[in-house]
Amino acid sequence: MRSSSPIPYPGLSHRLFSVWYRHMRVYTKNLLSNGLPPFLEPLLFLLGVGIGLGKYIEGTMDGMAYIDFLGTGLLVTAAMYTAAFECTFGTFIRLEFDKVYDGMLAAPITVNNLIVGEIIWAGTKGLFFSFAVVCVLTLFGIIHLPQGLLAPLVGFLTGVMFATMSLLVTSFVKNINHFNFYHTGFLSPMFFFSGVVFPVSNLPVPLRAFAEIVPLTHAVRLVRAVCTGTYRLALLGDLAYIAAFIAIVGALAVRRLRGRLVS
Amino acid sequence: MSVITVKNISKTFRNVHAVRDLDFEVEQGTCFGFLGPNGAGKTTMMKMLYGVAARDKDCRGKIDVFGYDPARDELAIKYLSGVVPQENNLDDELDVFQNLMIYSKFYALPSAVTKERIASLLAFLELSEKVKARIRELSGGMKRRLVIARALLNNPRLLILDEPTTGLDPQVRHVIWDKLRQLRKQGTTILLTTHYMEEAFQICDTVLIMDKGAKVMEGSPLQLLKDNIEKYVLEVSDVQTQQLLADHRLPEAVRADVSEGVSRFYCDEIDRLKEVANTLEGNHYYLRQANLEDVFLKATGRGLNEKQ
Repeated sequence: MRSSSPIPYPGLSHRLFSVWYRHMRVYTKNLLSNGLPPFLEPLLFLLGVGIGLGKYIEGTMDGMAYIDFLGTGLLVTAAMYTAAFECTFGTFIRLEFDKVYDGMLAAPITVNNLIVGEIIWAGTKGLFFSFAVVCVLTLFGIIHLPQGLLAPLVGFLTGVMFATMSLLVTSFVKNINHFNFYHTGFLSPMFFFSGVVFPVSNLPVPLRAFAEIVPLTHAVRLVRAVCTGTYRLALLGDLAYIAAFIAIVGALAVRRLRGRLVS
Repeated sequence: MSVITVKNISKTFRNVHAVRDLDFEVEQGTCFGFLGPNGAGKTTMMKMLYGVAARDKDCRGKIDVFGYDPARDELAIKYLSGVVPQENNLDDELDVFQNLMIYSKFYALPSAVTKERIASLLAFLELSEKVKARIRELSGGMKRRLVIARALLNNPRLLILDEPTTGLDPQVRHVIWDKLRQLRKQGTTILLTTHYMEEAFQICDTVLIMDKGAKVMEGSPLQLLKDNIEKYVLEVSDVQTQQLLADHRLPEAVRADVSEGVSRFYCDEIDRLKEVANTLEGNHYYLRQANLEDVFLKATGRGLNEKQ
């Protein structure tokens, strides 16, 4: 007995919003413990490494003082780490331990809506973590408003990019401890060899190729350009990389993860 | 008028037949129960109804829920249905009200309607005092009732419950059964899985007994009892008494089922079983009416399967 009028289930944008909203409410429930570290961490890093270690570094890196160089790099690593944690440990716990998705998938959303909502949420966390770094960098006089306010947008893209990649990894993982391989084996090297702590041009040639292949390098370039207001045509290449990465890896992640959510 | 029609549906996981060629229909406003041991395919069948499990690609059968096929129109079916999953997957970080509020977003309910509905659902499930409580502070029975409230947020026409009362105390079970009866009276169609015979007997209009993915029998609980088992049972569980009976000739029309630990004697006439009982020289025995559990064990066997 099909009903004569169409069923008024919510449209796509609302369905994605409702997934995002769920994550946002759970995250902001512990505002202090979740919201303070994103500000403290870059502060500590700049004090310890930027000022402490930076004192011994003479000259500039890519034409910037060391603390400026490092500080602007942190804008995207913060987004990378939060998105990666959210979409590895966070997703895995929701999937396997808390069975949160079982409940959500009983509501009128599809599996694809759920996964894409998850990616958008991780992007939002990237945006927020980048924003926290912007606040600290502004305090140190490293970047200046209003152009610094573009950096969180790069943080959003970075978050989305690492969300797709982390979800793809999660789709293969059966044991939560295996994420250590991804975090230590992939994210940490990227942190050091993608032009965050020193320029990619200082790397030996084979590692330079690695730096060009991995996603973080492109996000770093983009965010430095935004902060310094120096836009070159080559940046379009970085943007294209990020867009293609999100599209391809995102599609793979949705496809793979779907298999774990629908039997 | 049937709201769910399932015909020749099969589901295979690698080489395990979870559901085999299942057929059934559920009438509007009735309570339909799947009864079966663990691993019988009950949950898989329910998940196929709202599109979270996909039937075998090569199976020629069909699933129709309110005129929609879950393979194509899962959103319509989910919008019209409420689901209580086997596990209480509530958000521990949030309180009772927030759990319901977040979930109401999936239905795009206006916020005034949401507040009103949450209040009335909490009252219905006797949780009004807990509106601000954290999930960790709730007992198992309260959590279960909250998950039921969550499933009712969009006034579903179909309520699907996967083992609604497993692990709960008798008081809570009776409260939940009472609520389900009320919902059915209001016209909600209810579909549930259980392995409590009493639950099936108390609230289901129709019971489908499943074993190893296939239907074993289907009918109203009373009809199943009438058609499949004698009226009375005499149970003897201690070895000495069993020995005593082994030497004794049974009266006519008494059927014996001697298995490990317990011997059961079935008969439609209670007097004949009393006759047997009288030969037990005062040893312990238990004479009772046959129930759905006897039917169930007769149908699915007493041994454990590899999934139990």
